[in-house]
Amino acid sequence: MASISIRNLTKRYGNFTVIPDLNLEIADHEFVVFVGPSGCGKSTLLRIIAGLEPISSGDLYIGDTRVNGVQAAQRDIAMVFQDYALYPHMRVYDNMSFALELRGTPKAEIDARVRHAAALLHIEPYLDRKPKELSGGQRQRVAMGRAIVRNPKAFLFDEPLSNLDAKLRGQVRAEIKALSQELKTTMVFVTHDQIEAMTMADRIVVLQSGTIQQYDTPEAVYERPANQFVAGFIGSPAMNFFPVEWRGEGAILSQGGTAVPLDGDTAGRLRQAGSAVLGVRPEHFAVTADAADGIAVNIRLVEPLGSDTLIHFDLAGGSAIARVDPALRPKVGDRIILRPQSGKTHLFDAANGQVVQ
Amino acid sequence: MNGAANTDRWIRWLNTVQLVIAGVLIMAPTVWMVLSSFKPSFEVTAYPPTLVFSPTLENYAELTRTTPFLSYALNSLIVTVGSTALGLLFGIPAAFAVSWTRITWPAILTLAARMAPGTLFLLPWYVMFRQIGMIGSYTALILSHAVITLPIVIWVLLPSFDAIPRSVFEAAQVDGCSVTRILWRIAMPLVASGIAVSAILAFVFSWNYFLFALVLSNGDTKTLIAAAFNFIGEGSTQWGALMAAATLIALPPLVLAALVQRWLVSGLTLGAVKG
Repeated sequence: MASISIRNLTKRYGNFTVIPDLNLEIADHEFVVFVGPSGCGKSTLLRIIAGLEPISSGDLYIGDTRVNGVQAAQRDIAMVFQDYALYPHMRVYDNMSFALELRGTPKAEIDARVRHAAALLHIEPYLDRKPKELSGGQRQRVAMGRAIVRNPKAFLFDEPLSNLDAKLRGQVRAEIKALSQELKTTMVFVTHDQIEAMTMADRIVVLQSGTIQQYDTPEAVYERPANQFVAGFIGSPAMNFFPVEWRGEGAILSQGGTAVPLDGDTAGRLRQAGSAVLGVRPEHFAVTADAADGIAVNIRLVEPLGSDTLIHFDLAGGSAIARVDPALRPKVGDRIILRPQSGKTHLFDAANGQVVQ
Repeated sequence: MNGAANTDRWIRWLNTVQLVIAGVLIMAPTVWMVLSSFKPSFEVTAYPPTLVFSPTLENYAELTRTTPFLSYALNSLIVTVGSTALGLLFGIPAAFAVSWTRITWPAILTLAARMAPGTLFLLPWYVMFRQIGMIGSYTALILSHAVITLPIVIWVLLPSFDAIPRSVFEAAQVDGCSVTRILWRIAMPLVASGIAVSAILAFVFSWNYFLFALVLSNGDTKTLIAAAFNFIGEGSTQWGALMAAATLIALPPLVLAALVQRWLVSGLTLGAVKG
């Protein structure tokens, strides 16, 4: 068990810089999720921590040890790969015991640890099988078991749920979270799925183009996104964005000029800035009967989800989504009045995407 | 529906015809060789060739009576097994290194050496081995035949190593394996069928290679294939004995291939990754 410290890390492939000057501190026992779109550098960063990619410049510490030049084999970390990477010629038992055997662990202890991990992951009946005789979900558990038996300084997960079907993914996600609470080991998990990030992480690192956009708790990332990229990436459906400006005594949509009712704090900031991008999450629209207190929109599409209903509408030259109570029974073509909830709106600088203070 | 079924039947029939033609073309010389080895000497060169004849072991008796056949066979075995082992010893790590590092020029270099005619090597080797007093030694023959076996091993194994998902090697690294241990414990078991194929091919090519043995061997180390050349004389050729020798020479590679047939079935890596 150990902390992970990344200081001024740069990763280049030839002339192409994938990660420019990144700093990150992961505390001991912490569950940190790297999330971001494809090509943002999250897997590269994880592979650098694992020792599978060299560092171009900067420092990497695992615990108190600088591990820049330390081989993966000597870092004492365990990793679960996206494609599981089980040893096809070995039985499940041997897959799990291999790392311990390499370290010269006594046979009795290897056996005890493999059986304990197998019990934890419910894979005891498959210990004598080869990987090809297992289903995708079972292979995924074996890959986790191979990591658990090690009792390493840190666990690294490289999108391990992406090959599972939706139901199994939800189940394994919960199991990994429970496991992290039981094992109390530093865990770094890479995913492009923001729901996985939100549900599992103690803290989330949102990455774009190799740069950390925000590093905070899931609640903070959701409630107080640092910039428009984070605001748009975290949350499903994504946050709606409308260019707005302050005109006379109130806020209006830049396109169309419709008045937008804003709470006092947001209105004050917009008044100072003059213009900005207003961010409203679909779940932060309230339906109102008072036309003067909201924005009237025509429903273009209805998506009933059971617990909620999503309505799609066109506003300010773009498409937007609101999450409403299914009891409203909205229909395509209905006119509905929506009001951004007080204290739930966000303002971003149109030029650089940063939060307007 | 009927038309489609007819087309399918025609395609199947044409496939069978093609296979039969290919089989006949490939097997005809071998069948001719084996049949000739059992024919009385006057019938071996008869034209048109006779298909019905009284089989005789006369040619085999002649072969063992006039030549130290077993001794030549032993020489062939020593040189072939030695050069195949040498090819595997260096070829397996070389192929793995090329696959691991993605640096391909060493593999291309060995292939270029294999593509060059054997006579190109012969003169410098003859001079070199004579200077160090190794002409006629098993070592000289084994080393020279490694030029044949090494590229075969490398080029047969390279795609097999490349086919192993990179993440399997990376998982082994994270588990604590050194590169040599990855080769020994992970990569080699996964390419076992490829190793078997490369070993058989190396064995066959080395066993049948004539030129180096002709020049670099002496009476004590002469291989079967070089010894069989003795039956071709300036005045007359003993075709019957030559066919008997050729039949016996062809036997070991065939037996070997039959024995390791199950290794030739690939698919060991199935289930390595997601699925």
